[in-house]
Amino acid sequence: MPSTQPELPSRCRIDINGLRKTFLAQGREVLAVDDASFRINDGEFVALLGPSGCGKSTILNMVATLITPNGGNIRVDGIPVVPGRPTRQVGYVFQKDTLFPWRTVEDNIGYALELAGVPAADRRARVDEAIHQAGLDGFARFYPSSLSGGMRQRVSLMRTLIVQPEILLMDEPFGALDTHTKLDMHSVLLNIWERARQTVLFVTHDLGEALTLADRIILLSARPGRVKQDFRVDFARPRNAVTLRETPEYAALFSRIWHSLGEEFARTHSA
Amino acid sequence: MSRRLSTLLWQIGIGVAALAIWQWAWDLHERVPWLVPELFDPYFVSKPSDIFRQFLGMSCLVSTDGAWTFGVPGAFTRCLGRSDNNLWIATYFTLKNTLWGFVCGVSSGFALGLLLGRSDRLSEIFYPYVTAFNSVPRIALAPIIILAFGIGDASKIMTAWLVVVFLVFFNTFEGARSVDRDHINASRLLGASEWQVTRTVIIPSTMAWLFASLSPAISFSLIGVIVGEFIGAEHGIGRMIIEAEARGEAAGMMVAVFVLMIVGMILSALVRRLQTYLLRWRPAQNVAA
Repeated sequence: MPSTQPELPSRCRIDINGLRKTFLAQGREVLAVDDASFRINDGEFVALLGPSGCGKSTILNMVATLITPNGGNIRVDGIPVVPGRPTRQVGYVFQKDTLFPWRTVEDNIGYALELAGVPAADRRARVDEAIHQAGLDGFARFYPSSLSGGMRQRVSLMRTLIVQPEILLMDEPFGALDTHTKLDMHSVLLNIWERARQTVLFVTHDLGEALTLADRIILLSARPGRVKQDFRVDFARPRNAVTLRETPEYAALFSRIWHSLGEEFARTHSA
Repeated sequence: MSRRLSTLLWQIGIGVAALAIWQWAWDLHERVPWLVPELFDPYFVSKPSDIFRQFLGMSCLVSTDGAWTFGVPGAFTRCLGRSDNNLWIATYFTLKNTLWGFVCGVSSGFALGLLLGRSDRLSEIFYPYVTAFNSVPRIALAPIIILAFGIGDASKIMTAWLVVVFLVFFNTFEGARSVDRDHINASRLLGASEWQVTRTVIIPSTMAWLFASLSPAISFSLIGVIVGEFIGAEHGIGRMIIEAEARGEAAGMMVAVFVLMIVGMILSALVRRLQTYLLRWRPAQNVAA
């Protein structure tokens, strides 16, 4: 069991320093991310919050090696990441539904194990456990096309978690879901995280979601994205995704961050 | 009355009416010549009753003296032995060559489409050749193929291959180009090597496009074989049509055409079954192709 002793110096898992990214849009160079720097320690759940278009997904995708930065550096466990060469201990959950439609639920979840050459019997056992953990019992043989959006995102989540990545990058994974399903997914994710305590970098534009899930909220400014503020979220764990929102601490922190976030929304629109 | 039943009754009714007009319209010709076009002359198009009689004879269900062959020991085989291109043998050869042409065309078209679809360099180089060959009406090459490959099975399979391969190639090519980038990224991030990405993402998603081309491919293959047989063959339904035409036997030609129709219907029904099964992961409304 992982112990939570804040006195001990925690191991830094993700170290981002002076990160910069420009895009070419209609012949003009647009600065998307400017000098972003932050560190994430082992076992920390960090939300990257900001108005849309502020470059938060771009930062995440640079960490995931999907996008090549124009400057600065990213280290995962002390080793610089190489664009195009995914880091082994890092798992990624997409915003968009990227399940393989020709594979059933169980074959989607077991995909990474298949790639790694895990024997079929082993794979079965682990997939069955994951299906149970995600509350997908009875849907193992279904194709993604016959599942609801929420269920598909559960499958996506388990497809990434099956290989037990120590670091989890999540790009607004619940952005397309309705409020109720979203809360449901928060409970599922919190449950899983309580057990494994992965290091998580979670991109969102939803303050409520960030507060529900994270230990820390890094607030980005409107474009070009820079780290504006860093908030600690020390609500007790385990958390209840629904009742947490009724507590006065939640309300207090919400309004503090909301104010700061509001300034960035305003800048986005005036720009 | 349920909709399905009424549809069925309409279908039967139209079929029966069409056959009846075909059968008896010519009889009116003497009395009201302006009503019945010359085309109804049984010399050109025969008549349903004649076609059926001819069918019984050609399929050796009835022997030359007009008696049923079943029940008479040896009569059926004796009748078959009289022709080396009887209806059964002809159907067998046409079917066999159609299937071979289909299999060869689909597999090579898929391989080529995948190769060029996933390589910008290769598709850039081969682009003019592909367009040039595609602009040639494939059927125009049939006589050359017969000349080169003889009048045996090889030339029919080759003609069928030629019409099928481009169809499948273009479908696969499009499919290979439109593989979802996010699927490829997801696969890479889950630890796939380049070869694993090809095997588990690019090939399966391209397959969906390939399957959609199977139905037209089987019809094209049958067309290719028949044209090949028209030009030069020892066996096959196409040859049977040419022979009947030479003898001025409209009924014989019509029998061959009806057999082709039935063969074509069975083949495309089978392919559609296969397609539905292979694409079972698709949302229901997309399955019908």
